[in-house]
Amino acid sequence: MIDHQKTVHEQFDPRAQAYLQSPVHAQGPDLLYAQDLVAQAMPPSGVALDVGCGAGHLSFALAHNLSSVTALDSSPSMLSTVDRVAAERGLSKIHTVLGDAAALPFEDGTFCVAATRYSAHHWATPMAAVREMRRVVKPGGYLLVIDVMGEDDWLVDTHLQTLELLRDRSHVRDYSVAQWRTMMRDAAFTEIGYREWPIRLHYESWIQRMSTPANKAAMIRELQTSAPREVRKRLAFESDGSFTVRTGLLWARAKPA
Amino acid sequence: MDKRLLEILVCPLCKGPLHYQREQNELICKADRLAFPIRDDIPVMLEDSARILTDEEVKALH
Repeated sequence: MIDHQKTVHEQFDPRAQAYLQSPVHAQGPDLLYAQDLVAQAMPPSGVALDVGCGAGHLSFALAHNLSSVTALDSSPSMLSTVDRVAAERGLSKIHTVLGDAAALPFEDGTFCVAATRYSAHHWATPMAAVREMRRVVKPGGYLLVIDVMGEDDWLVDTHLQTLELLRDRSHVRDYSVAQWRTMMRDAAFTEIGYREWPIRLHYESWIQRMSTPANKAAMIRELQTSAPREVRKRLAFESDGSFTVRTGLLWARAKPA
Repeated sequence: MDKRLLEILVCPLCKGPLHYQREQNELICKADRLAFPIRDDIPVMLEDSARILTDEEVKALH
């Protein structure tokens, strides 16, 4: 039996290239929106942290308007990919660090913004990670969270989380907006904005990106066809297995200590 | 290792300062007696990947 951190590592380390090229990850209205929010909130001298940077799409987007971005991930091959792409694009201000979201290796009050995109659903202890992000931002600093949002309707939510876990055994859960709000408040962040977008997940590429085994892919299809009407409607299941989730962006500011 | 990055890195456990050991290319936390490796210029700040310092090495740090 292996622990969760090892599972995440095994799932993601061989897939850096797939994530670099994935349109869901490389593009998206959330990425542009995040870039604008950060550019408007802080001067070009600002410094950012990207927690669970994966192939680095958020780091690259933020680096355009800031003086440096520290990109942290627990997968060495994701970080090598970030270093390689940063060098290709002439972005010398991106620094990569291997580490754990729940035990950040940075001094208190270092960053103007602590950000994370499509990573938090792998965090087994999200509250610890949010507290760590609070610790490493400067007084009045910002928190930016982007991820697939869990569903408020538990029937739909159970189906969503099950589909995700079947596809990727390192999935923990898509936390709901309400859960994020509680975690942010408990870590002394004040919410200043929320936006969400429907994101269509194309079944074949969704499965291929993670190299989901065939037996589990079959279970995903089985779960979709047997799902009740409410679930089919909300997640917009299509005949080829594609479906639609919501990507949420939470924007918050550290309360004064 | 980038100098600016070195300035903001601390031990992920105790959040105390780290000492960069050029010869072995490691980041040392005296308090936790751990040496974090730097691989391909990327600091590896995971407890599981860190090397436990010997008594001799800890003594030599003082």
